[in-house]
Amino acid sequence: MNLFEKIFNHQIISRLEDSGTFMVTSHERAWLKTMLEHPAAAEAFTADTLDKLRSALEPDQVMDISHHLIEKARTMEKQVYHPLLRPLRRLIMNKTGIRITYEIKGGRVKTDHSGFPYKLEYSMVKREWYLLWYHTRHRALMSTRLNKIHSALPEAIEPSAAENILKIIGNTLDSRKSEAIIEIVRVYNEELSRILYAFSSFEKSVEYDEEKDTYQIKVSLLGDEMEYLLSKIRFLGKRVRVVEGDYLKKRMLESSTKALERYEADRISNEEEVS
Amino acid sequence: MAKESFDKEIQFLRMLVLTSGAFSRQQFAERLGISVHTFDKTIRRLKEVVNSMHPHLPQEQNKDFSESLRFSYYDSTDPLLLFLFRAKSVKESESQRISLLLAAMNDQALTAMELLDTCCSSLPSGLPMPDEKTIRSDLKYLEEVGVIKRDPGPRPYRYRIKDDLVRTLSDEELIDLYDFVDVMANTQVPSVQGYLLRDGLKKQLSRNQFEQHAVEPFLYKYHYYSRILDEAHLFTLLHAIRHRRKVRFLYFSPKSEKSYASKNTNPLFERDTNGKTQKTLPLKLVYDHQYGRWYLLSYGREGIRKYRMEGITQIEEDESVDETWYAEKQHELAEKIRYSWLIDTGRPVKVRVRFYNPGGSEPNFVKERVILQGQWGQIVYEDEHCFIYEITVNGTTEIKPWLRSFGSSCEVLEPVSLRRQMIDEWKEIQAYYESV
Repeated sequence: MNLFEKIFNHQIISRLEDSGTFMVTSHERAWLKTMLEHPAAAEAFTADTLDKLRSALEPDQVMDISHHLIEKARTMEKQVYHPLLRPLRRLIMNKTGIRITYEIKGGRVKTDHSGFPYKLEYSMVKREWYLLWYHTRHRALMSTRLNKIHSALPEAIEPSAAENILKIIGNTLDSRKSEAIIEIVRVYNEELSRILYAFSSFEKSVEYDEEKDTYQIKVSLLGDEMEYLLSKIRFLGKRVRVVEGDYLKKRMLESSTKALERYEADRISNEEEVS
Repeated sequence: MAKESFDKEIQFLRMLVLTSGAFSRQQFAERLGISVHTFDKTIRRLKEVVNSMHPHLPQEQNKDFSESLRFSYYDSTDPLLLFLFRAKSVKESESQRISLLLAAMNDQALTAMELLDTCCSSLPSGLPMPDEKTIRSDLKYLEEVGVIKRDPGPRPYRYRIKDDLVRTLSDEELIDLYDFVDVMANTQVPSVQGYLLRDGLKKQLSRNQFEQHAVEPFLYKYHYYSRILDEAHLFTLLHAIRHRRKVRFLYFSPKSEKSYASKNTNPLFERDTNGKTQKTLPLKLVYDHQYGRWYLLSYGREGIRKYRMEGITQIEEDESVDETWYAEKQHELAEKIRYSWLIDTGRPVKVRVRFYNPGGSEPNFVKERVILQGQWGQIVYEDEHCFIYEITVNGTTEIKPWLRSFGSSCEVLEPVSLRRQMIDEWKEIQAYYESV
């Protein structure tokens, strides 16, 4: 199997698009057939559709990747699909409002709140689905775990109101964005590739100062993503240093100070035991 | 036959994406060890492919290419780097002909001669007319890649497009299929075939008049954007493993210090002339979720060898080896990596760590994360303030960053050497910020 087949050539693809032709290769079918063996398939389709797909793929091969490929340091996959994905994606598609009952921190339940669903977001870190939605009365953008949603029913909304909310969401996301600058400590320049890989999951740009031979990574992110960025910075340890972003700097100082206190406290208590 | 190699494009794109905007044309070309002229030519070619796949992208002449490839989370979930796999060059006449043939077979089953007629009457003048032999070899190719199928029946054979996968599905079912492919391509490996299929399904959906907004309801947080570039070699290596064949390639160690000492080299790895030719027997492929990177584990003269996929170029298959011996080597490797946090084959050590629960009424996200990411480690003790986690791993180098990412919620108890290292590192980190 070669991924650089001429059949995937961009000119062929765009011409096919013009003629409305759907083309699928045995590579793609083998991939799909393999993925259909994942338990998530049962939640993604009705039993009927699944049968149809399986019989359409009957003559195709399965990829034998599982024998030759190992995944390491993977977060346990507790959820790939969720029963609410199918109904919610349709509400998003139809730009319908929702009436939602959900649980918040501490287990309290909010009943029948009106809102507008925006996107479904999967966290690769937590391996869980979230609904991003607009809370009409609170005028706030919310992020709620699908596991915490008791019910989400369609509720009519004027198309103009829906468009308006989408605009508000766009503005809110833009206004919530902040920036931080992280510098690669120069002696670790040789680990550049690894460090940049670690930051490649963020919206970022890199600046290189030729005179000082230093790299600075400008990360653009939303406030609630700071925790994840912090865990990445701690992950890389002394290789990187926050040069702009007071909150991040403060937190890094706190982390290191508190960590050292813990080690120190343990040493003292051990010595006391000995003596 | 000279095989079209995408090594240059892959290196080029990886550097472009990872260092987004860091270098000028001149600096970029120098670091890849190519001329500015070649740099411009490659950019032009890549731009052409990107623009034909993503007509909605800004097209201003002066628009920085890396800017248009920049990852923007909420705008689109299309994996832009996928266009690399669309870059195989095909002659204008051939791409015209193949798309005509496929479109003709979309509506009905046709014979080679009927297809020849269609081609001759629809190809724009100025392009060479195909002969029967060309059409037959096109059909053979299309059948091989599984895009068309031959109808049962006597000669002359009739061919039609093989699209049973979507033809039998209703619009609703098509949406479910698109969603499933999107979710699996984004959450599982390998992903490239899934992304290619997603592309096709997305176009099929927009033909049925679903809006853009409707087609992309899903977002995936914290994806390693460039990981699909490394999948380019995956299937060549899988083929070699399946057939127990050795491979030869030119390897650029991403770690080589020399390449960073010289200004005229790619900072991500050594330039061409410094690569080392390797001959080795692939045993396993490893995907590391911590960085989103691929590794090749193989057997060479010195025993088990490890290579980073991003450093492998000009890969070619070589002779095959004995089946029993190969199984032995695979078994040997499996034993050695049993306790690898990633791929370390060093001596196993028991690591003992105390994790502190977050205070107050907050959910215990520390424990939750340790359970989700702690691989085969076990929680061996628990009280209301903390819990103790134990794991046996090969060496402590690979697990250390993960432990450090917990900040002050984690205290290494054993081994003492790791405990000391952690203390030293926290001291250095503290010094970075103390003046603030």
